[in-house]
Amino acid sequence: MPNRSTSKNSERAYGLSIYCPIKNEHEGDVSFTSLVRTALQDFKEDEDSPMAKVPNTYLARFFIVDDVIFESFPHTNDHLQSAYLAFSTNFHGNLDEYLTGMYENMNTKIHNVWQYCYGFEKVKDAASFIAYIKKVQVETSYFFVGSNDDSLPEQLKSLYLKQEFSKFVFANQSKSDDELLAAYKEFDARTKPAVLEGPTWRAGAGSLKNVNKG
Amino acid sequence: MSTKRETKLDLFDIQGNIMQNFAEKGFIKARYLFLEIKNGNRGREFVTKIKPLITTSARWTNDASDPYGTTEPSATSNISFTYNALKKLGLPILSLHSFPDEFAIGMRGRRAILGDNYSSDPENWDPVWNTHDVEVHMLISIEAKNMDNLEERYNKILSLVAETNGGVILFDGSLKDEDGKEITYQDAHALDNEAGQPTAKEHFGYTDGISNPYFKGMLPGMGSVIGGGKKNPKALGIGEPKGNQGNPILASTWAPLETGEFILGHEDEAQEYPACPTPPLLGKNGSFMVYRKLHENVGMFNDMLEKTGADYPGGKEGLASKFAGRWRNGAPLATFPNEEDGKKIAAAREAAQYKQAVAKTPEEIAAANAEFEEVNKHFTGFDFQKDLHGGKCPLGAHIRRVNPRGSLEEDSASYNTPSALADRRRIIRRGLPYGTSTPNSNTGEHGIIFMAIQANIKRQFEFVTQQWMNYGSDFKLANEKDALLGNQTPDKDKDGNPIENVDGTMVIPGDDGKVPYFVSQIPRMIETRGGDYFFIPSLTTLEMLGKRIIDPT
Repeated sequence: MPNRSTSKNSERAYGLSIYCPIKNEHEGDVSFTSLVRTALQDFKEDEDSPMAKVPNTYLARFFIVDDVIFESFPHTNDHLQSAYLAFSTNFHGNLDEYLTGMYENMNTKIHNVWQYCYGFEKVKDAASFIAYIKKVQVETSYFFVGSNDDSLPEQLKSLYLKQEFSKFVFANQSKSDDELLAAYKEFDARTKPAVLEGPTWRAGAGSLKNVNKG
Repeated sequence: MSTKRETKLDLFDIQGNIMQNFAEKGFIKARYLFLEIKNGNRGREFVTKIKPLITTSARWTNDASDPYGTTEPSATSNISFTYNALKKLGLPILSLHSFPDEFAIGMRGRRAILGDNYSSDPENWDPVWNTHDVEVHMLISIEAKNMDNLEERYNKILSLVAETNGGVILFDGSLKDEDGKEITYQDAHALDNEAGQPTAKEHFGYTDGISNPYFKGMLPGMGSVIGGGKKNPKALGIGEPKGNQGNPILASTWAPLETGEFILGHEDEAQEYPACPTPPLLGKNGSFMVYRKLHENVGMFNDMLEKTGADYPGGKEGLASKFAGRWRNGAPLATFPNEEDGKKIAAAREAAQYKQAVAKTPEEIAAANAEFEEVNKHFTGFDFQKDLHGGKCPLGAHIRRVNPRGSLEEDSASYNTPSALADRRRIIRRGLPYGTSTPNSNTGEHGIIFMAIQANIKRQFEFVTQQWMNYGSDFKLANEKDALLGNQTPDKDKDGNPIENVDGTMVIPGDDGKVPYFVSQIPRMIETRGGDYFFIPSLTTLEMLGKRIIDPT
């Protein structure tokens, strides 16, 4: 995806960055910041990541900003008044649709993570989640460059086809025309290039194992 | 995001022994456990299970709405790890290699720097530190107000050890108690006075643990900026003649030290982040700890006082005070060179401590704390600017060596702060005496469990030990050592053969033009009986160690 000068929606893709202040509170002997971190560290990875279930996510990242980085001498001693949960995502489509999909597909996880942030108690459904996110959104200009602006299913299908077609070439390069045509028909029937639903790569796939199980 | 200038630490993420002095809160019984991890998986399970028992730096309060507060526990426990423990727990090699060399080498390997020779040689250490098939990986410390609470916590930890089915072992029979019986832990406790009341004294009779560093992020009650901080660069001093660093009894003369001198991941006195393992989250809110068991030759100390004290013009107590830089009741010589004045202020401090101990209502507690702070500032708030030649407090006195308080700077205009040469050598002191002694005790089990907490063991504890305690050059004292803690050459080697050139000497400068007094034949009064270097991880890191999710890439 090309760099966007702002986080405003383009025709096909969107880059969202948010910073959510974490309350300076604690539960038992654990600070809210640590609880947010634990909730994030408990996310499963790759295809099992909750973000893999959110439609059209190209790349998403969570992290915690404990404090501003001290930039050495000469300096001023600035500190944040609280830690911040940072969430950055690049996706296909428009913001409201994306956040609705996110809320529908991972609202338990969303509440697990965000419950420790200021103002999140007002979030009860997708609409209030969208309103909250827009309040904590920041304008940024650098995004993940590694995809075009197609929908995620289209991109996953393309990656799958590229991988399968490479295998096809290796396997059939010295065959006769007839043999090649037959093999291609078999390839076409098996990979269904026009069908986005599958077979295709799975969202969140972190390795080539099991990527094409639809 | 809005910012402000005040340092605010996540006290719930920092282990409690770093920022809290449990002994000062009446937790005067301690037990130290040494454990080895035999199996990585079960070691990690143990780390995960013990985490809820770990005491944090959150202050103890009954106010449930205090964002930095928690209720006072019945007992505290803290955990730290040697380099080999981190290896055994499966820390990635890139992370292991990012730890400082001296930590990886450990105390035994650093013996030449620490001066652990002759009777302090590792071959004479307690078996737990000195047996080839034994490797101490974890140190767990427990503190409580009484033995019942301590035992209860100890048994909880024992059951967690048992659940590992041999994956973690507590060293059995590796230590000896006072009667020579083998035990699985090291106990320590405040020493009682003749009336059976606990005191802050160690076996030589000195009131100990009076001064500790004060740094940014500490809350009221965690320490005193007066004497605990650094000399305030904004107070008098910079660009002014030597000797003019402000009145040391005033808070405005001092400023908190930077957090990064003691806790990783925060700015330090060099105005940078301290060296920290990779990834930064592994080190953040953690620290390094030196655990050192120091045997005290009480009989030798008393012989020295008797013999030399009979000849020294200041007498026995005067000599004891010159060794330490404080009267044995704790009053600093720099402010109270006269014994009677020292006794008066020490009595006032004791009375204030008594009021603190018996205060019940919040109002009484606040009033008692305020009274104590008012008196205690005379014990912490001093420097050597009016005593540059050591007529009151000798240049080689113990407390002046380990914290020169701005007296080393020849030209204060050359430094960022008036105490710059000391500010990077400060250590947080923890620990309690162990064993019981009589005035004649030399052999046997009695001494101090000494712990030093700092961001950089090499720059702080090791430097102070090597250059300031076991050497005298920075004080223009040539090779003179700390009379109390220095590794004076003993008069006999380990086989009992006499050693020539016994080097234990100390110059006590005369005050007001009087002649100096030369103390000689100072024996080695303190001997090392074991110890190691430990990493105190944050609670976040503890959790990540347990889950094995530390990723340095």
